[in-house]
Amino acid sequence: MTSKPSLRTIWTSFQLLLVALLVPALLGINPAAAQVDLNKRELNVPATLVAESQQVQAGQSVTLAFVMNPKPTWHGYWENPGDAGIGMSFDWKLPDGVTAGRAQYPVPDRLLVSGIMNYIYKGDYAVLVNLVVSEKVKPGPLPISVKSEWLACTDEVCVPEQDELSINLQVVGPDAAVSLNNAFNAYREALPRQLGSAATFTVKDDLFRLSVPFPANIDIETPYFFIKEDGIVDYAAPQKVNRDGDKLIIETAARGDTLQNISGVVKIGPSSGFSVKAASGDVEMSGTPFIGSGDSGNFIGGGDQSNASLLFVALGGAIVGGLLLNLMPCVFPILSLKAISLAKAGGNEAVVRRDALAYTAGVVVVATALGGLLLALRASGAAVGWAFQLQDPKIIFVLLALVIAIGFNLAGLFELPNVNFGNKLAQKDGAAGSFWTGALAAFVATPCTGPFMAAALGATIVLPPIAALIIFAGLGVGLALPFLLIAFVPAIRNRLPKPGAWLDSFRKVMAIPMFLTAIGLIWLLGRQIGTDALGLSLIFLLLVTLILWWFGGGQMKGLSRGTWATGALTAAIVGGVLLLPNAEAMDNQKVASASSATLPSEPFSEERLSELRASNQPIFAYFTADWCITCKANEAAAVQRQETADAFAEANVAVLMGDWTRPDPVISKFLEKHGRAGVPLYLYYAPGEEPVILPQILTVGTLTDLVT
Amino acid sequence: MFYKTALTSIAAVAAISMAMPLAAAQKTGAIAQDFKLTDMYGKTVQLSSFRGKTVVMEWHNPGCPFVVKHYDSGNMQKTQAAARKQGVVWLTINSGAQGKQGYMKGPEAQKLAKDQGMNSDHYLLDAKGVVGKAYAAKTTPHMYIIDASGKLVYQGGIDDKPTANKADIKGARNHVTAALTDLKAGKSVSVAQSRPYGCSVKYAS
Repeated sequence: MTSKPSLRTIWTSFQLLLVALLVPALLGINPAAAQVDLNKRELNVPATLVAESQQVQAGQSVTLAFVMNPKPTWHGYWENPGDAGIGMSFDWKLPDGVTAGRAQYPVPDRLLVSGIMNYIYKGDYAVLVNLVVSEKVKPGPLPISVKSEWLACTDEVCVPEQDELSINLQVVGPDAAVSLNNAFNAYREALPRQLGSAATFTVKDDLFRLSVPFPANIDIETPYFFIKEDGIVDYAAPQKVNRDGDKLIIETAARGDTLQNISGVVKIGPSSGFSVKAASGDVEMSGTPFIGSGDSGNFIGGGDQSNASLLFVALGGAIVGGLLLNLMPCVFPILSLKAISLAKAGGNEAVVRRDALAYTAGVVVVATALGGLLLALRASGAAVGWAFQLQDPKIIFVLLALVIAIGFNLAGLFELPNVNFGNKLAQKDGAAGSFWTGALAAFVATPCTGPFMAAALGATIVLPPIAALIIFAGLGVGLALPFLLIAFVPAIRNRLPKPGAWLDSFRKVMAIPMFLTAIGLIWLLGRQIGTDALGLSLIFLLLVTLILWWFGGGQMKGLSRGTWATGALTAAIVGGVLLLPNAEAMDNQKVASASSATLPSEPFSEERLSELRASNQPIFAYFTADWCITCKANEAAAVQRQETADAFAEANVAVLMGDWTRPDPVISKFLEKHGRAGVPLYLYYAPGEEPVILPQILTVGTLTDLVT
Repeated sequence: MFYKTALTSIAAVAAISMAMPLAAAQKTGAIAQDFKLTDMYGKTVQLSSFRGKTVVMEWHNPGCPFVVKHYDSGNMQKTQAAARKQGVVWLTINSGAQGKQGYMKGPEAQKLAKDQGMNSDHYLLDAKGVVGKAYAAKTTPHMYIIDASGKLVYQGGIDDKPTANKADIKGARNHVTAALTDLKAGKSVSVAQSRPYGCSVKYAS
């Protein structure tokens, strides 16, 4: 029996002490801009309350964000949760003089499980709320707290969660500095943007139809309408989407109720959407269908079946589309190459068959490769569309060099040593030539979207990669189909003329469409890089031509200048590509064209605005976007008009233009400052005065009246 | 080759439209579809056998927090008891598939019913989800009321406060109790449809 504590006891006590010290320390470590709540670590969709700025001036507003971070496999819900689930609720405890606005939710996703539709957020998301601080509030601390409840679910289980969140703000005087949290730019970008125009909807014969004004030239990827009001739309029913000129029409099954006015979000891409308000009216399902709507991407269970049917339909469309491509101007010059090789092989069945298969192989390989490249670029986040290869001036330049070379080859400037276009029958090397002809045809043909193709290509966005590649291959097959038919169907082949002397003249004539293609590409390149850079590029192309001429001259004399020629050509083309302007220069090009519009304008920036205001010049500032029909209509009718330009020039009005086609945090903030969530916005600053917000519908009179 | 593709795609589309789950739904005002299910004792129960009485169907999932809200508070049991006192037949239906949340075999269900003091006439097991899909039951709880003539007169939520908070039961309008009161008084149901709320029914597929 001893009174001394044993070693074991000491160790146990030490462990207990350690635990007693560490646990509170661990619990205290919770990165949050808000006060720590011990229960937060248990939440499956933990929420953090963040303010855009800790300081707020009396009379102004500050935006708060509920930043939700669902754990893997968990999700939170949109304000209309769909068939099951519940939205988020907020119970604010605000000091006097502070009011909270409605919660603004980012564009949601869909989750369809066993025929039950959920409108959710798959990953992190932030719900924004504007707090307005009245002018009467005195400078000092401003404690804000809110009890929020939401539902956190996986596919299997749901847990209702809640949290008491709080944040301490500071009301500062009007001259104090206010620093902004840049993360809010991303939060705002995820919100749906306001469409400038009102939509129409109808509920008839168990069908719901919505017609949304949306410019025809803006690409959409995965259109879907998320309705805010319950009971009107059958959430789980697929949505059919048509485009009819400047209208986007969405049709789905109706649930039973109807209202005079509805609202919701039209989603058009992975994270972009527009807020719409629609009034009851008449809507017909006119226009052409857009494939890929409704049964895309977010399936769990039942998805494979719909995907398979989509694949078949899209594949059929791709093959027919490819077939029709043969008639499009893009491909025709290349076809002339094919026609020549066909013509010279008019008699020999085996040769024609082999060449046709080689051609098909070339087309299919390139079409699939381009498709694969497109998918890879998309997967890495680049916003590219089909025919992306022609959006890069480097590719156009190289293609241009190639087309010019082929044109001169056809015209007889030089011959290609291993592909003999002469009067002789095609040699075994003809197969290689056919392959490359096919490859070239696919490369040049793809930007021409004909009928059937757009829908088929739209399907590639929503199908799994293997299926998408099959569709691209199908496009290639369709493109090569006529030549396959000619090669394998004796009836057609026998009608081909036999080779003869006419072949040489035919070949020279075929150079003409090739040069026409070259002119088209020169025009395209010029639009992209500007006239000056185009001049430089043309010099390099002239160099290419001269090299080929020299090479051809050598052939006539029997000299082999092949190696030199190849080296010189490579140098010339690489040089031309390197000297192409970079992206910055091309943006300036865009600005240059803005300056040459009827009403020239400068790009909007807050600094330029204050500069101009300080110089006491009247200012007309307008905000527009390519996808905003009202904006474009106003511009055509009132802004870009000679009378307006003259009146403004006379009164020395400075014009600032804010382009909100792509998300721009500077413009977003400015719009919010003027109480607007979207475009169009027209402001007129008379010298020394506060801005006047002009009406949404402008006339020339409205604008000229400002300065008279 | 093209025709073959076209025909295949047409066939595929036709097959898809026939295989759509949850496309069925019962229309309020029409005769409710008859069905046969086994209850937790293994007894077969058929809907049409209750013709002449009002029938309430309640979709159930013991793991769903919204169901727990109404059972922990005693609200569902009270509603069931009051209904049965009026001579209404109360059917609690579980459409959870095997392996999913809330799925129970007979003995397990019997124990749960006893523990929670359930007052339903029958607890029906619909593991294949056939009846659930026929009625387009989307949430738990999801309530349906069929009058004595077999017509569906109510479908929707149990009350008008879609939360998981027990405190909200007191101030909410219990749509089922109200509808049964209307029926007893010989009137038509004033609120025949409301938004069902809860967790999604855990169907097999």
